[in-house]
Amino acid sequence: MLLLDISILLACHAIQHTTWATAFRQADLFFPLVEGAHILSLSVSVGLILMLDFRLLGLGFQSEPVWRIMDQIMPWAIPGFTMMFLTGILLFLAQAESVYTNSYFRVKMLMLLLLGVNAVVFQFKYYPSLAEWDKVEAVPTGARVVAVVSLAFWMVVIACGRLMAYEL
Amino acid sequence: MRNSKHAIPIIQSFHLFGITLLLTSVVILNFRMLGIGLRQIPLEVLAKHVWRWATAGLLLAVTSGFFVFLPDPARYAANKSFVTKMSILAVAVLFQYTIYRKVVGAESSVFEPHRRILVPLVSLTLWFSVGWAGRAIAFLG
Repeated sequence: MLLLDISILLACHAIQHTTWATAFRQADLFFPLVEGAHILSLSVSVGLILMLDFRLLGLGFQSEPVWRIMDQIMPWAIPGFTMMFLTGILLFLAQAESVYTNSYFRVKMLMLLLLGVNAVVFQFKYYPSLAEWDKVEAVPTGARVVAVVSLAFWMVVIACGRLMAYEL
Repeated sequence: MRNSKHAIPIIQSFHLFGITLLLTSVVILNFRMLGIGLRQIPLEVLAKHVWRWATAGLLLAVTSGFFVFLPDPARYAANKSFVTKMSILAVAVLFQYTIYRKVVGAESSVFEPHRRILVPLVSLTLWFSVGWAGRAIAFLG
């Protein structure tokens, strides 16, 4: 485990000190543009998932069946998350070593992993029977738990993203 | 607050929660008006639900933003990006709660198609400009 940690750290150190990563960091517009795009992508990725969570919890769009909300947001959420990951990877590469050793970054990655598991649970356990519980009162408790976890963990991800900048 | 290590970063996180709610609502409504997304959900239904989240997001962003500004007003007032952000924000809020609200609330037949295109484009441009200018505060001064 320690060996793995040191190997990753060394790799991150090497990435951060490549000529192109240095050029990224030193370009005046790199951070405002890429970080701006990363943050504003929230509105076409995480934000859309939050709307689905609100629907599952009966906090909005009650008149619309859950499948329709999913159907309508996914064509935008997928490119939105792609944009999010691409800009995130760029930001990581530009300062790989500082980011890798950042404790908020680690919490953020752990949360993203758990959110992935949460999404997989929804997809396999609840999505197949979606048509049976389209009405607000019928949303199974488990699906509501998935929504609460999603809301809470995404908030932690956003907060960690913001907090890590203060430790870089 | 200036001297606390955690106060500003935590308030900044709430600022981002507000921005996420607000911008997502703006994106959803405008994409629907432009006819490029969420077409199966009637505009009235979207407007009714999303408007509440937009207002809640705006209130959260403005309140938290005020507390970020408060400990350091002179520095922010001297920052060109900040002044730009506040100016566009004023226009965006005014636009959103007057012209925009009227167009969203109207029956689709009442307004000519070009207003259905122009109004959402103006709204998207204004709100995303506020966001970009906000990001520039820290980097461009």
